[in-house]
Amino acid sequence: MLKYLFAKNEDIPAGSAAVYWGFSAIVWFVIGTGLGSFNAAKLAFPDFVTGSEFFAFGHMRQVHVHAVIFGWISMAFGMAMMYITPALGNTRLWSEKLGVWNAFLWNVGLSLGLTLLWAGLTSGREYSDFIWPIDLFIAVFMALPLAINVWMTILTRRTQGIYTTNWFFAAATFMVIIVFLTGNLPEFFHLTGLTEAYLTWWFAHNVLGLWITPVAAAIAYYTIPKVTGNPLYSHRIGHLHFWSVVVFYSTPAAHHLMSAPLPEWLKSFASVEGVLILVPAIAFVSNILLTMQGKWNMFVENLEIRFTVTGVLLAIPLNMQGGFQQTRAINWYIHGTGWIVAHAHLALLGFSTFLEAAAVYLGLQSLMKRKLYSLTLGNMHFWLLLIGFSIYWISMTIAGLIQGAGKIYEVPYIDVVIAEHPYMIARWIGGTLVFISNIIWLYNMWMTARVGTIVPVGRMPHEMAYER
Amino acid sequence: MAWVMDQPLVTLSDTAKVEKDKVLWEAEDLGGITEDNNRVPVPIVWLLLLTVLTAFAITFPLWGQRPNAAIYVDYVKAMDEPDVKAAKNDADAMARIVAKYRSGPNQALLERHPLTMDDLRQIAPQIKALEKEGVDLREYNVVGPDVVLANFEGNYRADGTRIRLQPWWDKGYTIDIFYVIAFFLGVTMTIKRLPPSTWQPVHGHEHK
Repeated sequence: MLKYLFAKNEDIPAGSAAVYWGFSAIVWFVIGTGLGSFNAAKLAFPDFVTGSEFFAFGHMRQVHVHAVIFGWISMAFGMAMMYITPALGNTRLWSEKLGVWNAFLWNVGLSLGLTLLWAGLTSGREYSDFIWPIDLFIAVFMALPLAINVWMTILTRRTQGIYTTNWFFAAATFMVIIVFLTGNLPEFFHLTGLTEAYLTWWFAHNVLGLWITPVAAAIAYYTIPKVTGNPLYSHRIGHLHFWSVVVFYSTPAAHHLMSAPLPEWLKSFASVEGVLILVPAIAFVSNILLTMQGKWNMFVENLEIRFTVTGVLLAIPLNMQGGFQQTRAINWYIHGTGWIVAHAHLALLGFSTFLEAAAVYLGLQSLMKRKLYSLTLGNMHFWLLLIGFSIYWISMTIAGLIQGAGKIYEVPYIDVVIAEHPYMIARWIGGTLVFISNIIWLYNMWMTARVGTIVPVGRMPHEMAYER
Repeated sequence: MAWVMDQPLVTLSDTAKVEKDKVLWEAEDLGGITEDNNRVPVPIVWLLLLTVLTAFAITFPLWGQRPNAAIYVDYVKAMDEPDVKAAKNDADAMARIVAKYRSGPNQALLERHPLTMDDLRQIAPQIKALEKEGVDLREYNVVGPDVVLANFEGNYRADGTRIRLQPWWDKGYTIDIFYVIAFFLGVTMTIKRLPPSTWQPVHGHEHK
């Protein structure tokens, strides 16, 4: 793939950039979940790997978080954009070479950032832990080139209309740049106190709300109609979804700080907006599930549909939790507990990951024109991922409720630690299953590239899933 | 491209735009994907309405607040009563105090914010001092061992001080009302510019 960095654009085969992004994403997923499993082991077994600060939980946790968000999830997004955007415009990617360079710079920037985090160079701000030079690198050399490629591909499309997925792609690539530049202002200008706290959570909230959630949903808007052959149920609900993401997801940052001395009216405003995040969620889930009409057999038979619909179904508990856990009535109890950790994994490892995995499966098979090497390994990946995630989510939710009770009723901290120990072990088991599933996936996709059955022209890989 | 207002819930576009959209809609091949023109289903509309009402109702500041100092005034007074002083230990003393006010007007708040005798000993002198000053104790929050002025900023009184009570309504909710109305108006206008939902595009086999 590296040879294309210095090739002429017209000499680079269509889809090369997407394949580069796709395999990078899977590798980062293996690394990120491996780190997650390691970190979970440290919480379950406190004597596991001690004596070196580089393997201390405080160093490793940030590396895990950023490897999965900016490595796995964001590179899977890049992969999806590289092949879905031109497909929906009946055109080629605006610049395959820019796409390849973009993936290269993404890997370089992320490796550098993670190495610095590992070494202890951190801003200390959750989710925006990278130091400010890395933040600027991400905005200018990682996010901006991706945005330019997406925007220019849409501008040079050969259709009159722009399909729903591409609205989301175009808007999200713009918004993530704004989020990086604005959310990191405290680091650029040394803002402190409440301003820093607010902007830290403005960043964290909007990376989720204006990048991860809308792009993941946009992918489902492509995958479901493409694989089932059904038209998207409603263009109108697509409008409702898109504009409600922009309006209601961008505003509730203050609901992450309900106990901070922010103005009460700001908390009231943010809290109502927080519940109204259910508006895009209802629109998205209903549009996708109604699109599935008459094709529910594919939920069982087809790997990509199974991944996507599972992700869409997980959006229901995700948004019910997210909408209500931030209200004053509930937040005082679960704030600062494992419940939030469980919720974050429901968003990133549940809802989002399942949608992206489907896009990577579909995209890599389509672009490489090769059928999946082993459907059995694909099924193993799905079930290990789902079971591992479910164990993690349920155990951390229970641990969070224990911590909440301990916090409110002032139970001695060590008693809370003892009470939640079994759930920490369960968390490690769940996380490790996820890690193992991803190793299987990487092997399966590597073998698909090497020896997968070639898909004849005019057929889609999933149509041949059960053919020998 | 003109706007037509005679049937706002059917379409806001004139016939020419509707016809142009229909032709484009059926001819368009978005990478092998097509879209239907179904309306937002009625149950979804009701669900959205319920969501908006719930969003306001559940976020009113009725729960999850820090306790104000006023709810502990009776507890502080009870510390000096003979039966409490005669208690065999702190836990027994606290149990006796709690039993005295189990059915009072602050019952729910006191249940959500229980204290130990150690907590009470720390806040009691502060509450007594504030009572001597004659201030409204509902404007003071108990934050751990401290009794502090609440950070709510309400209207100014005639003497220039501000009301520090948690309001049940504030300008955050007012902004939300305008925000929600603007959103739904905007989205409704956007989707009503499309051809009426009674029309469904015919998708050819080439899309499959």
